[in-house]
Amino acid sequence: MSWQGELHKVLSATYKNWIISKRNAFTLFELVFWPFIGLLSIGLLTRFLELGDDMVAFVLVGAIALSILQISQIDVAYILLFDLWSKSIKQTFVAPVRGYHLVLGAMLFGVIRGVAVFIVLAAASSHLFGFDFLAGGVATVIIFLAGTFLTAASIGMVVCISILLFGQRADVAAWTLSGIMMLVSGVYYPVSILPGPLQILSKSIPLTYLLEYYRSAYGYGDHQILLGIALALLYFVASLLILNLAIERARSTGMMLRLSE
Amino acid sequence: MPALRAEKICKSFKRLFQEKKVLFDISLSIERGEIFGILGPNGAGKTTLMSIFSTLIRPDGGSLEVLGRDALRDTHAIRERINISSGNPNFPWSLTVRENLQHSAMLYGLSGRSLQRSVEEAISAFELGPQSDAKFETLSTGQKQRVSLAKSILNRPEILFLDEPTSGLDPEMAMKTRDLIKKIYQEEEITVVLTTHYMPEAEELCDRIAFLREGRLVALGTPGELKRALQIGHRIFVEYDGEVDPMKLRIIPGVMEVKELSGRVEMVFDHSGRAVSSIIKAFEGADILDIGIEEPDLEDVFLELAR
Ligand SMILES: Nc1ncnc2c1ncn2[C@@H]1O[C@H](COP(=O)(O)OP(=O)(O)OP(=O)(O)O)[C@@H](O)[C@H]1O
Ligand SMILES: [Mg+2]
Repeated sequence: MSWQGELHKVLSATYKNWIISKRNAFTLFELVFWPFIGLLSIGLLTRFLELGDDMVAFVLVGAIALSILQISQIDVAYILLFDLWSKSIKQTFVAPVRGYHLVLGAMLFGVIRGVAVFIVLAAASSHLFGFDFLAGGVATVIIFLAGTFLTAASIGMVVCISILLFGQRADVAAWTLSGIMMLVSGVYYPVSILPGPLQILSKSIPLTYLLEYYRSAYGYGDHQILLGIALALLYFVASLLILNLAIERARSTGMMLRLSE
Repeated sequence: MPALRAEKICKSFKRLFQEKKVLFDISLSIERGEIFGILGPNGAGKTTLMSIFSTLIRPDGGSLEVLGRDALRDTHAIRERINISSGNPNFPWSLTVRENLQHSAMLYGLSGRSLQRSVEEAISAFELGPQSDAKFETLSTGQKQRVSLAKSILNRPEILFLDEPTSGLDPEMAMKTRDLIKKIYQEEEITVVLTTHYMPEAEELCDRIAFLREGRLVALGTPGELKRALQIGHRIFVEYDGEVDPMKLRIIPGVMEVKELSGRVEMVFDHSGRAVSSIIKAFEGADILDIGIEEPDLEDVFLELAR
C-alpha cells in the first residue's frame, strides 16, 4: 500500500469526525460555551477568594487543561462511539484499517479542536483575569499541550477498549476512570494535599507532571516533565497495543457483530 | 487456485455462561468467477459464515484460505481485496450518502481522483444520484440497502460477499440489483458469495449452492444437482370433469404423492420414468379440462432440506 493510501486511511477518521461535528449543533457548545463557562466561574471564584496572581494562574492552568483534555479525549473515543450509535461498526472493521489509522486520524481532529479551545480559553483568561499564559514561553505551551493530547488519546482508547471487550454501555466505566484520574492529578490543588495512597497513584498519571510543569513557570517549584512525557508516551503506546488486541478479541467473541445489531 | 477454501470451520458464541455452537465443521471451496449461494433457514448460521469468510470475525477452529492467503493470518491483505454488503445495513447516520461513500473509500486507502471516480460510479450504478446529498438517516430501507451495495464495489473487490442483497428492495430494484450483480460478475470477473431467502433469486444467480441447517452443511451442488440428489419429483395437476378412481392413480409406477380436490388432482411424480402417459390414461373415463406440469424448483429443495 502506498503512503497516500496509508495517509487516507488515517484521514478517514479525521474526515468523519469533522463532518459529524460540523453537522452537530452542540459542537459550538462543546468547543466554546462550556469551556468558557467553566473558565469564567473558576476565574470569578478566584476573585471572590481574593487570590493572588500566582494562585489565579495555578487554578486557571487546571481549568484550561481540563477543558482541552475533555474535548480531545472524546474525539478519540468517537472512533467507536459514532459507529456504536449508528450500529455501523462492521463497515469500519471489514475494511483494511488498523487501530493506529483510526487513532491517529481521530487524534488529529482532537488536536485541532484542542488547540482551538486552548486559544479561546487562553485569550479569555488573559483578557478577563490578566493571566499570562505564555509566561513559560511558547515551547512550554507546546510540550504541555502535546502531553495533554497524548493523555487524552489514551483515555479515548480506553473507552474504545472497554466497549470492544464488554459491550455497549461499558464506556461508562472508562469515563469514571478518567474522572478519578482528574481527581488525583491535582487539577485545582497541589497533589501534596491528597492522602498518602492517592499521592502514589497521582505519581503514575502523566497529567500530574504536565500540570506541575506548566505551573512551574508561575513560581510553583520543581517539575519532572521528562518523566511525565515518558509516561504519557508509554500509556499511549500501551493503549494502542491493547486496542489492537481488543479489536481482535471482539472478532473472536462475536462482539463485532453484536455491536452492529 | 480457488477463491476461497474452508476446512472444518467451526464457531461458537459465548454469552454470559452459556456457549452456543453456531457452525460445525464447515468445509467447502469456492471457485474464482463463481456466484456461490449460501441458503438455509433463519438462524442456520449464514451471516456468521459470511462474516468469517470476510474476516470480520474469527473462527474458533479450522482453516480458511481466501484468494490464496491464510485468512486467519493475512487478514489485512485480504480485506484490501474483498468487500461485503449486508442486509439491514447501517452507516453513520448524520453523513450524507456521498459523504458515507467517500469515508468508506478512504478506509480502503483511495484518494484524489480515483476516490471521486469510484464514488461517482457507485452512486450511478445503484441509482443513488437523487439521494446523494441526503443524510443516511433519512433514507428508506431500500435506499439504505443500495448505499451498502454501492459501498461494496468501491474498492473493486475480487470477492464480493452479499448478505441478503435484495432484502427490502422493491421488485424492480431487486431485479436491477440482480442484473447488476450479474453484470459486475461478468465484466470484472468477480467472485460473488451471497445469501438470500428468495429462492428464484438463488436459482437465477447461483452457479452452486451450499445449504446450511443448524450450523451444518447439509447439501452442496448446482441447483440441478440438488434437485436430482434429493429426488424431488415434478408436479402435475389435472382438472377434469367426470369419474376418476384415485386408487388407480396411486398405483402408477413413479407417482409419489396424490392430492385430490373436487374436480382436480395434484400429483408429484418421478419425471425420469414413463408416468405421464399412464397418468393421462387414468383419466380416460373423464374430460380433461386443464393440465400442467411443473419442474421442481429451489423452493422445493429448500423445504425438503429444511425439514
Ligand atoms: N454475535 C453473536 N453473538 C451471539 N450469538 C450470535 C451472534 N451472531 C449470531 N448468533 C447466533 O448464531 C446463530 C446463527 O445466526 P446467523 O445470524 O448466522 O443466522 P442466519 O443464517 O444468518 O439467519 P437469518 O436467515 O435470520 O439471517 C443464531 O442462533 C444467532 O442467535
Ligand atoms: Mg443472516
